[in-house]
Amino acid sequence: MTQTKTERSVTINPGILCQPIGAMQAVLGVHAAIPLVHGSQGCAAYPMRMFNRHFAEPVEIALSSLGEDAAVFGGADNLVKGVHALAARRHPELIAVITTCLSETIGDDIDGILRKIDLPVELVPMHTPSYVGSHVTGYDNAVKALVVKLAEQTGPTDKINITVGLLNPGDIRELKSMLEIMRVKANILTDISETLDAPLRLPRPSFPTGGTTLKEIADTANSLGSIALCKHAGGGAVAYLANKHKVPMILGASPIGVANTDAFLENVSKLVGRPVPEQLRRDRGRLIDAMIDVQFKTVQKKVAIFADPDVASGMARFVHELGMEPSIVATGTTSKEFVKDVQAIASQTGHEIEILSGCDLYGLQEAIKADGVDLLMANTHGKTIADDEGIAFARVGFPVYDRVGYQRRAIIGYNGGINLVDLITNSILEHGDVS
Amino acid sequence: MRQIAMYGKGGIGKSTTTQNLTATLADMGNSILQIGCDPKADSTRMLVGGRRQPTVLDTLREVGAENVTLEEILHEGFKGIKCVEAGGPEPGVGCAGRGVITAIKLLEALGAYDEDLDLVFYDVLGDVVCGGFAMPMREGYAKEIYIVASGEMMALYAANNICKGIVKFAEEGEIRLGGIICNSRNVENELALVEAFSERIGSKLIHFVPRDNIVQQAEIRKKTVIEYDPTCNQADEYRTLARNILENDMFVVPEPITMDELESMMTEFGVVD
Repeated sequence: MTQTKTERSVTINPGILCQPIGAMQAVLGVHAAIPLVHGSQGCAAYPMRMFNRHFAEPVEIALSSLGEDAAVFGGADNLVKGVHALAARRHPELIAVITTCLSETIGDDIDGILRKIDLPVELVPMHTPSYVGSHVTGYDNAVKALVVKLAEQTGPTDKINITVGLLNPGDIRELKSMLEIMRVKANILTDISETLDAPLRLPRPSFPTGGTTLKEIADTANSLGSIALCKHAGGGAVAYLANKHKVPMILGASPIGVANTDAFLENVSKLVGRPVPEQLRRDRGRLIDAMIDVQFKTVQKKVAIFADPDVASGMARFVHELGMEPSIVATGTTSKEFVKDVQAIASQTGHEIEILSGCDLYGLQEAIKADGVDLLMANTHGKTIADDEGIAFARVGFPVYDRVGYQRRAIIGYNGGINLVDLITNSILEHGDVS
Repeated sequence: MRQIAMYGKGGIGKSTTTQNLTATLADMGNSILQIGCDPKADSTRMLVGGRRQPTVLDTLREVGAENVTLEEILHEGFKGIKCVEAGGPEPGVGCAGRGVITAIKLLEALGAYDEDLDLVFYDVLGDVVCGGFAMPMREGYAKEIYIVASGEMMALYAANNICKGIVKFAEEGEIRLGGIICNSRNVENELALVEAFSERIGSKLIHFVPRDNIVQQAEIRKKTVIEYDPTCNQADEYRTLARNILENDMFVVPEPITMDELESMMTEFGVVD
């Protein structure tokens, strides 16, 4: 059964965050870059708090601070002053101007305003009105804006491009480790593994070390190919590079679980023309061993998954591999592509899956009540639902702030799979082995 | 205190008619507040002798909402008419509709709606293009709407559209249409057409203001007709308009017609062959 739109005219406990927050996360993965939100106070204050809680890191987010007068007269003055002040005080290499509901509605000509500013800093406009799409759309728009502004053909390289999507520092470290084992050089868009999980060392550098450099973004036009780990969040940039700079693109499933990671590594192997090394085969075997070790705890357990589209569909395939039944696969972002992906999993695996696209937490809970699942996998906001329904709860997605360390552990790749096996099994055990 | 809003197609002569009307009403001894809700800020020009006065929003932008005083934005014009211009952004930027909302809220907070006032007039830009320009129609503000029109197709089309806006707000508030004011463009069969249109939407023609060059003559001298030449014919026409509005007791929820009906009406009255 598939439900893409609720018949209610009201959203109860929304399942999405706003576009700008997704764009901010993308920009925070660029070295020496600062997101400048062109909006009013809450548009920066609330995302900052979200990042602080989930990543346990300080983040720098600038704001053009639009007030009533800017709403009426336009926000150009605030924006120009903000860009100059930010450039003078912090000397960033890149300022990403992230729009909001207000600045998009009053129609500020951001691109035009930025073109007139002459400063030694890259200025990248990112259009993210929050009444369209979700944080996933915002991330996608932001990464695309970065390559549109910076990618430049200068001659072929032996690198590949990988857009990450809204994953965690732990995931990127796992990604880098897999690429290193395969001896593949990559432009990773964008790399929050150091910027949002920075070592504390004194003296504190002006900007966190690490992050995707502007040179790497420019170089994306010259790669052997591009892979989007999350096609909803990063697929736009990959498609742009394919159209504009003829960089072959692969929009596969997120490398979560055995089959999806196999497919990802095969894609990388094809692009660079080298086989998948023995070490990764060993990791794969270790994951399968971990899965077999717990199968009597996981088999036939019914699962509800609530996450961003690509994580949710990847997770659905993985719980199937674990012998579980993905009964409800839900995402807050509205996406036909997501529905198609999960339908494909349902027909390949024979599971009857209720697919919820664009659903809120209330809708999720109603579906859980009706289906009677054993385990809910969701971000921190799913905790109260799991408590209400008396089912096991495993934390995945964004934000997770009621337990420490989630952002450090990968869910992608074979090692990420092992982490997920532990996470899922332990949550079932903790709940007293419901069956 | 009667609060009246004037709407109508852009360029139809709303501001000219409104100023001549309020000048006449003031001349008859009424205490009036006139609020221009148009970013061009030219709704009270002839009442203040052509002086460009600071608008509510310009003042707000310069000194901040906490520091705006009524004296800065409210200026006495002809026969003590209190004149305010809401103002707005320069063309192509910002949100003029939000400007109207901000300006009216600020005027209210500053106590511009004095109990001693007999009449408050809102002169609103063109069509009701967004929620901001419908602000004067909302709860607690104007309860009477007059639409300035002519015998031209597009003027009646706009008038009909404005009626749709009135219907929407009439559902939950006390707002009613007081009538149509015809500001003549000397088109064929104009009086009969506008009269028929007014009746068709369930209202009436308040007054047919004939076209007279003296209006332009006065305007060039930055004066209303009543100030420029109180004895001329046109001054009497405005007096009739003023009396008809003061004595008006027919306030209706209009029944807008369809585009097809409007077109067949145009054909019927011989404007279109």
